[in-house]
Amino acid sequence: MKRAIPVLALSVAGLVPVWIYSPGAAHEGEINEVAAAPTQEQQQTQQQTVPQTTGSAPKTTGSAAPKTTQQQQQQTTQQQAQNRTVSGPAVNTSEGTVQVQVTLQGTKIVDVKALRAPNSEPTRMALPLLKQSALKAQSADIDTVSGATATSDGYKKSLQAALDGAQ
Amino acid sequence: MSVRRVEHIMGLPISVDLRDGDAELAERAFAWLREADAQFSPFKPDSEVSRLDRGELTREELTPDLVEVLSLCDWYEESTGGAFTARVPGRGLDPCAVVKGWAVQRAADMLREGGATTFCVNAGGDVVTAGEPEPGKPWRVGVRHPDLADQLSVVLGVRDGAVATSALYERGQHILDGRTGQPVSGILSVTVFSDDLAIADTTATAAFALGRDGIEWAAAQEECEVFIVDEDRRVFSSPGLPVHIC
Repeated sequence: MKRAIPVLALSVAGLVPVWIYSPGAAHEGEINEVAAAPTQEQQQTQQQTVPQTTGSAPKTTGSAAPKTTQQQQQQTTQQQAQNRTVSGPAVNTSEGTVQVQVTLQGTKIVDVKALRAPNSEPTRMALPLLKQSALKAQSADIDTVSGATATSDGYKKSLQAALDGAQ
Repeated sequence: MSVRRVEHIMGLPISVDLRDGDAELAERAFAWLREADAQFSPFKPDSEVSRLDRGELTREELTPDLVEVLSLCDWYEESTGGAFTARVPGRGLDPCAVVKGWAVQRAADMLREGGATTFCVNAGGDVVTAGEPEPGKPWRVGVRHPDLADQLSVVLGVRDGAVATSALYERGQHILDGRTGQPVSGILSVTVFSDDLAIADTTATAAFALGRDGIEWAAAQEECEVFIVDEDRRVFSSPGLPVHIC
């Protein structure tokens, strides 16, 4: 038991930098948001990481309207109460050091951020925001088909041709 | 009055299902698509694209439409680190990947400007919809299963929107990774839902050209929801994808 106390103390001491460490993304206060609607702050992060993409986007977007600082702070306070974050170990890979931070709501993972990724600022990872499932085949009543075909031979045999001829 | 018509333009079967417009309005949209083909096809020697490629036109002499198309090509090329490109080394300028979605979106805009509110345009599997085919119901857009031509992998419910799919079964062998010049691999099909077909179609093609990296890249694109099937038959889909429960 006596030995456990310094171990525990050291563990807590080790966690302190993790708590103090606040990557840019942690201030956003919109942990549950999907990547499709980044805040202004996030966009700035992306611009730093991948220069000359977001800035020269072909289309301006209304959906990415930045939130006010006050709203962000309120959300941050609320979500800090519900969510907890856990940082993984720093792992050396052939591409560089990677460290990941997971945000949990209860036992559910709601977000994953890379605290450290090769050649980049702390950034949001898009992949965990995608739902993963197994491919299924189905037939259903539909109005049109995406991915039908690009060739005329293929078209003649396609579902879309059947739909076009159906009316 | 409703019109249903199919015509092959730009090498694609283009279907128009117009629920509240006449044949004249549909013809206006098809006429524009034929014009776009004449102007932007790299396979027609007198097209603006071919003339630019032969050096007969300077950048200053280009029409605003071609400038727009080329700037879209440039943006996606930059965003994908060159995996998507309209200028594959050793080949002529080929902006087809952008032109298709861009021109079909404009055809849909023309139908809207002509007063139509309810229609579905399908150009070789890339779809623009407007309104509701039945009150309270969206257009049901089936996404073709990558292995089974007569089956679907998901059905999307779309009112005013666009859905594009780029897939191995369709023309995958012809999509090269601009970074390596090699045919792409890793992904079987990429479906993108967006407000605008130019965005949806180019995002789908560019993601496909990126191979496995395209999954994350496409998911991060603004205003795009994705449905991607990889070689291991795993499906990656955005939480915001408008999946239609049949």
